Amino acid sequence: MRIDTQPVQELSPHAQWPLPQGVVDLVYQDAASKRELETALRGCFRAWSYDELIPPSFEYADTLASEAGTQLAEEMYRFTDRDGRTLALRPDLTIPAARVAATRLHDQPMPLRLFYIGSVFRYEAPQAGRQREFTQAGIELIGAGAPAADAEVLALTVEALRTAGLAQFQLALGQMAFFHALLAELEAAGPALHGLQSALDRKNPADLAAALDQLAVAGPLRRAISALPELQGGPEVLARGRALCVNDAMAAALDRLSAIHELLLACGVAEEISFDLGETRGMEYYTGITFKGYTPGLGFSICSGGRYDDLVGHFGRPQPAVGCALWVDRILLARQRQGWQPAPLRPDLLWQTGACPDCLRLVGQLRRRGLRVELDLGDLDLEALRARAAGQGAPRVALCAGADAVMLASAGAAPRRLSLEQFAGEAATW
Amino acid sequence: MVESLPLAASQHADPSRLVVALPKGRLLDEARGLLAQAGYGLLEGDNGRQLVLPSAAPHVRYVLAKPSDVPVYVEYGACDLGIAGLDVLREAQRDLLEPLLLPFGYCRLAVAGPAERAGRPLRLEPNPRVATKFPRLTEAFFRQRGVSAEIIELSGSVELAPLVDLADLVVDLVQSGQTLADNGLAELRVILHSQAVLVANRAAWRLKSQAIGAFVASLRDRSSVGDRPEL
Repeated sequence: MRIDTQPVQELSPHAQWPLPQGVVDLVYQDAASKRELETALRGCFRAWSYDELIPPSFEYADTLASEAGTQLAEEMYRFTDRDGRTLALRPDLTIPAARVAATRLHDQPMPLRLFYIGSVFRYEAPQAGRQREFTQAGIELIGAGAPAADAEVLALTVEALRTAGLAQFQLALGQMAFFHALLAELEAAGPALHGLQSALDRKNPADLAAALDQLAVAGPLRRAISALPELQGGPEVLARGRALCVNDAMAAALDRLSAIHELLLACGVAEEISFDLGETRGMEYYTGITFKGYTPGLGFSICSGGRYDDLVGHFGRPQPAVGCALWVDRILLARQRQGWQPAPLRPDLLWQTGACPDCLRLVGQLRRRGLRVELDLGDLDLEALRARAAGQGAPRVALCAGADAVMLASAGAAPRRLSLEQFAGEAATW
Repeated sequence: MVESLPLAASQHADPSRLVVALPKGRLLDEARGLLAQAGYGLLEGDNGRQLVLPSAAPHVRYVLAKPSDVPVYVEYGACDLGIAGLDVLREAQRDLLEPLLLPFGYCRLAVAGPAERAGRPLRLEPNPRVATKFPRLTEAFFRQRGVSAEIIELSGSVELAPLVDLADLVVDLVQSGQTLADNGLAELRVILHSQAVLVANRAAWRLKSQAIGAFVASLRDRSSVGDRPEL
């Protein structure tokens, strides 16, 4: 094993603490991979006729916090403008999307299909590829309340994760409407309800029983709530859930899931989606389906989404809406752990042109064709050029050799003297 | 022979293989019997120093970790499942599933003070110094009572602290109460009743649902949900 004995470089006093915790610099392969993934996702969203929304990085804290749920509001970075008003960096992009839809796009033909790719900021412990500034790529389908809208967002999420190149993944689909209809029977609030939700979230049967005891729940209602942690798996879960319905709203919530499942089968994405009626966590603004995605090699979710029919109305004209956000940084990390190899970053050609106008014209042509051509700005000779190219992984070097002539040396081959015309002909095959 | 790192990628990609974190020490000794009965007994190496051990079931492997680290291994998905005490879980506050309570490792987390301490309520203490290995639970306990306690975090032998006047009170695990009594301390209040818990990673729960389901069911069948013994 090689042990790095290089002394740490002396830092200037301005860079003793170069970066606050929770932010990163990406360079080289890491930056290229991230941009390449974002580009692929952008293409995927556009192909489904979603249009990009670029909201501001900061807004009034009250706007962002109002419906974000207490957890998200606590994690916001807040600061004040010169008038003393409190601003915050966006902790999420769904809320800005809802605000834009309600205030600026309310008279557009519905539904709206919006996507975004950008940083969000949360004051939380950096974890599993997610820093305090991290990137979300998401979609919002606003003004469509039918099961087909839920199915479209689920199918597009699956398509986006496939596009990202993940080897394997699963979405766990829950239904808040089912759970809320169940809770409506309880007429419970406060700490007891909180205890119940916390026990369900952890699938802890003993804590769940204790919470039900505390709420004095018995009979079919108790049976239904106790069964929630077990209501997970394939579509047979819906039939099992049906036996536990204690009101029409619960049955309707299951009918809706059945309709969504039919559509997912038709879209060819049912394999990647499993049901979990005990999944009751998520943003507090979800009113219908909720889902989270998981992939091997990462212990954390890689995306999260759901239906939020009450959020848009908070800012203006109410609209049903459903959406999903992908955690780009975690997808990159998972993909890397699954053995994904990034394309190497290297020039296709290292060229010592000097001030030769013929060479430079040809350089321009090759670049326009998409080749990466790097000029040597000094006066390296052929051997030095080749050594440099070998270090960079560049497969060939060229050296201007007087009027209408170029020395071309490919890695591992002897240098050849070519006319510019011959050179251009050969370059066409690269 | 040491089986070292092939725990990584391949193990995680194969949905039929499980990695289970076990807590070294007292809890592990109590877990052995149950795991063996369930068909997942530990196969010990010959030197007892290995940290990765095979089980009687070829698709399950164990990782031996420091008890307080088990929730970390499982939250990050380095292990799919783990066994940890409820005390450690509540202190760590990691985001885990807790699908099964296990019938061992019973103890309680309690506030204790000098046996000769006058019987005035804890909430009348103005600013008690409290030594503990459980700073979060201790802080929460006193804060709920409006008491601003000075938490002194130690990593062992907490009952020593009042003897040398490092602290007024301690918060520590109590099983029989003998250690406290031997050091002139008396139990004042129970913060938490603890026992062993099977915990699961949220991603593994979805991606390896069959293997995990079988493991949980097998342990559940052998853990009668009897009442907790009187401590």
